[in-house]
Amino acid sequence: MLGLLLVLPPIFVLILLVLYPALEALRFSLGFVPADNPAYASGLDLVNSDTGSLEVFKKLFASSFFSSNLALTLRVSFVSVALLVLVSYPLALFARFGRGRLAGVARVLYLLPMFVPVVIATYALITFFGDNGWLEAILGTVGIPYHSVIRQEAGIVLGHVWVGVPFAVLMLSSGLDGISNECLEAARDQGANAWVVFWRILLPLNIVPLLIVMTFSFIGVFGSYTVPYMLGPSAPQMLGVSMALNFGAFRQPQQAVAMAVVSFVFCAFAGALYVWSTTRGRKS
Amino acid sequence: MKLTWFLEHPALRRAVMLSFVLAFGAFLIMPLITLLLWAFADRWFFPNLVPQVWGFKWWGWILENTDITKAAKWSFMIAPTVTLLSAVICLPAAYAFARFEFPFKRFLYVALLASNAFPKLGLYIAIAALFFQFRLIGTFWGVVLVQLINTLVTMTWIPAAGFSSVPRELEEAARDLGASPLRVFFAVTLPIAMPGVIVAMILVFLGSLDEAQATLLIGAPNIITMPVQMYTLVGNYPEPVGAIFSILLTIPSLVLLVLARKFLVSGYLAAGFK
Repeated sequence: MLGLLLVLPPIFVLILLVLYPALEALRFSLGFVPADNPAYASGLDLVNSDTGSLEVFKKLFASSFFSSNLALTLRVSFVSVALLVLVSYPLALFARFGRGRLAGVARVLYLLPMFVPVVIATYALITFFGDNGWLEAILGTVGIPYHSVIRQEAGIVLGHVWVGVPFAVLMLSSGLDGISNECLEAARDQGANAWVVFWRILLPLNIVPLLIVMTFSFIGVFGSYTVPYMLGPSAPQMLGVSMALNFGAFRQPQQAVAMAVVSFVFCAFAGALYVWSTTRGRKS
Repeated sequence: MKLTWFLEHPALRRAVMLSFVLAFGAFLIMPLITLLLWAFADRWFFPNLVPQVWGFKWWGWILENTDITKAAKWSFMIAPTVTLLSAVICLPAAYAFARFEFPFKRFLYVALLASNAFPKLGLYIAIAALFFQFRLIGTFWGVVLVQLINTLVTMTWIPAAGFSSVPRELEEAARDLGASPLRVFFAVTLPIAMPGVIVAMILVFLGSLDEAQATLLIGAPNIITMPVQMYTLVGNYPEPVGAIFSILLTIPSLVLLVLARKFLVSGYLAAGFK
C-alpha cells in the first residue's frame, strides 16, 4: 500500500493536467460551454447545446481549410515517420554492429540534435537550406540550381527528421543491443546472408522498439508546432499551427478545441498500436 | 540479384557505410555550421561562401539587450524549478515502481504514458483554457506546471529502471550487517541507481530549457523564456542576432552533454521504454 501512496503524486498530476483538461476540451467541443471559464465562454461563433451536439465537428469537416490542413498533417506525419525509420534503422544497425572509428563517430553523431533546442534547429535549417542559404551558395559555385525546401511541405518533413533522429536511433539500437551475438553467429554459420539475418532475425526480434519509434514519432509530428511554424508554408498549415491561431488570434477556441479532439482521436489509434504491441511482447 | 548484394563485399560495404555516415553527418552538422558562421558575420551577402566582413558587432548588442537578459533570467529560474519539482513528485514513485508490489502497478506505470500520447499542441490549448480559469496564464507557476507534464515519463521511468538494476542481495547484505532501511537506501541503493536519476534530471532540465510551444501559449505576455524569445527574433532581426542567440541558448546543453557523457552512453536513455 505504501507503493500505491508513493505513485499517487505523478498520477495526480496526470489527472489534473492531462486527463481533466482533455475531458473539458471534449465537452466544450460538443457544445457544453462552461460559463465559469472565460477562455471558452468568451469565444466567437460558439455552438451552445445543453444536450451535446456534433455541430462544431460538422462545420469543421465541411470547411475546406480544415480538410486541407488535416490532409497536410497526415501526409507530413506519415512521410516524416517513414523517412525517420529509413534513416535511423541503418544508423542503429551500424551503431550496434559497426567496428572502428567510423562507427564511433556515428554513435556520437546521431545524439547531436538532442542537445540543440528545436527552435534553434529550425533556425539553423533555414539558414542552411533556405532561400539564399549556404547550401544554395555552395551548390551555386559548381553551377547546380537549387530550389529552397523551406516554407514548403518538404521543409516540415526535413525538420522533423532532423529533430527526431536521436530518439529513433536510441530506441532502435537499445533494442538491437538485446540481441546476442551468438544468435547472429549461429545464423551466419547456417549460411544466412546479411539480408536474411536482418529480415528473419533482427527485424522480428526488434519489432517492439520499431513500433514505439513509429507511434511516438507519429504523435510527436502530428501535434507539433515549432517545426511547421518555422519551416512550413503559411497555407495549408499543420493542425498544431492552425489550432494555436484559432485559439489565440482568431478567438475561436471552440474550433481550436474541436481540432484538438480530432487530433486526439488520430493519435489514440497510434497509441492503441503501441499498447497492443507492448502487451503482446510481454506475453510472449 | 538482391538489393543488399553490396553487404557481402567488405570493401563495398565500407564505402556505402562511409558515404551514408558522411551524408548523414553533413545533414546534421552543416546547418549548425551555418549558424556559427552567421554569429561571427558583420556582413554576409549571398552568394558569398563566407562572410565578407567578420566581427563581433552583434554580440555586444545582444548582451546589452534587456529583453534578452530577462528571457535568460526566466529560463534559468524555470528550468531548475521544473527539475526539482518533478524530482520531488516522481522519484518516490520511481522507487515504488521498482521495489514494491501494489494493485494496478502495471496499469499505472503504463498510464503515465498518457502524458506523451496526446498530440502536444491540442493538449496545451486545453490546458491554457483551464489556466485562464485559474488565473495561471502569464505566471511563473503556470509555466512550471505546464512544463511538468512532459517530465512525468522521463523522471519516473528512467530512475525506475535505475532502481530495479540495484541487486537486492546487496541491500539484504547491508540489512544483515545491521544497517537501517534508510541507511541502506542512502548508502547502497541510491548510489547505484544514481546514473539513472542523473540522466533523468539532465533530460528534464534540457527539456525545460528547450520548451517553447507550451511556454509561449501559457507564459505570454509576461513570461518570455529564451526559446520563446527566439520566435520573435527570427524574422524581425538580422541573421547574426538569431545565430548568436542560438549559440548562447545551446551552451547549457553542450556543457551538460560534456559533464554527463559518461552516463548518457550507458543506455539509460532508452531504458524506460523496455
